[in-house]
Amino acid sequence: MSSRVLPEFEMLIPKGMDEALTMLRDYGERSAVMAGGTDLLVMMGSGFKADFVLSLSRIPDLDYIIDDPGEGLRIGAMATLSQVCESQVIKKKYRALWEAAVQNGSPQTRNMGTVVGNLLRASPSGDCCCAILALGGTVILKGREGTRAVPIDEFWLDYGVTARKTDEIAVEVKLPPVEKGMVSAFKALTRTTLDLAKINAAACFQLSGKKFTKARLAIGAVAPTTIRLKKTETVIEGKEIDDTVLAEIEKAISSEISPIDDVRSTAEYRQKVSGPLVKRVIQAACNGLD
Amino acid sequence: MKKCSITLYVNDKKHSLDVPVNRTLLQVLREDLAMTDVKYGCGAGECGACTVLIDGDTPILSCLTLAALADGKHITTVAGLEKDGKLHPVQQAFIDEGAIQCGYCTPGMVLKTVSFLAKNAAPTEEEIRKGLEGNICRCTGYEKIVKAVQQAAIKKEGGKV
Repeated sequence: MSSRVLPEFEMLIPKGMDEALTMLRDYGERSAVMAGGTDLLVMMGSGFKADFVLSLSRIPDLDYIIDDPGEGLRIGAMATLSQVCESQVIKKKYRALWEAAVQNGSPQTRNMGTVVGNLLRASPSGDCCCAILALGGTVILKGREGTRAVPIDEFWLDYGVTARKTDEIAVEVKLPPVEKGMVSAFKALTRTTLDLAKINAAACFQLSGKKFTKARLAIGAVAPTTIRLKKTETVIEGKEIDDTVLAEIEKAISSEISPIDDVRSTAEYRQKVSGPLVKRVIQAACNGLD
Repeated sequence: MKKCSITLYVNDKKHSLDVPVNRTLLQVLREDLAMTDVKYGCGAGECGACTVLIDGDTPILSCLTLAALADGKHITTVAGLEKDGKLHPVQQAFIDEGAIQCGYCTPGMVLKTVSFLAKNAAPTEEEIRKGLEGNICRCTGYEKIVKAVQQAAIKKEGGKV
């Protein structure tokens, strides 16, 4: 249960990126960086303590969603899930992320919570995490020395642990430009609409005729972080989608995941459901091309 | 900083306050400004009882908002919907349809309805049920709440469905 009184902390409200990075140079190891706050405040209500909370909310121009057909899609650190829901570009070209955003939480939490914040939370059940792993995103980290780009495949190191150093700020997530024939989809299984996913999955691949290529399959809540189903991807590469291949997918997945029992679901359920879920996500992605 | 001077515009009234930075907007509204029409339900963002509208008709959760970061914002609570002694059509519809039992979800539900109808003036029942996700009612089973939203939509459109 959550306490209505948050633990004490000192607030840092930088007005610009340079000020923020200077603050993190001095206090980063003792700071929680806050975007929308929908995860952080819940954690604090359950006892999580940080000496400092650094809010990004007063840094201007971090809430962008910019589509550059050459460079790809850039989503700023303060861009909310509602902005993703309203983005026609994301709905059309990066469908897995759109599908992840529209079903996540409630309208209120979507108005407050951010895409990048979901990546930083590094929960294996993160919906945007799953979609972005399938889409092949890159996290842009800014520090006082400069900027570095970390591919999403290398971003989550363990449950709740990312590649961000304590003196860095994740300012953006970048999605690659969409190639012709690229499709994607996302599905989550939850008990109610607001629940975190018991299990979620996303797929992104090129569809030439009926053939899969360049498949990226992501699955959540079955390992300490969201993971790629790399073995399953090689099983289907270059193949045509038919019932045999879909059956092969179901078989390959079970050997790649290591679900546990937790408050939300059981290892047995997740194991049984993972194959059909990924199958359905792939089918949904194929249908989305129409 | 551990304390912050902020200005909140609540229902068009200006309030200047000094708040500890770890206080939520919900605490400040209920406890410092005595606006108990904003309800504490779960404190964890799951029930919607603490919903307020910010900067127009954007619904947010006041339990997950730090008051220090709401500085300068315009906030509408359910008490601010009434104009010149006349209830807002959504408030009236909730009363007319009997959509209130214990009343605890009602402030959040009414404000959510206001924001929802601003975006979708002629919703289907399915759209209403989807639009109200995030606001939980333990008493009514939602039937009369849905009817109230439908009635409010009709009235808003001047009788058009």
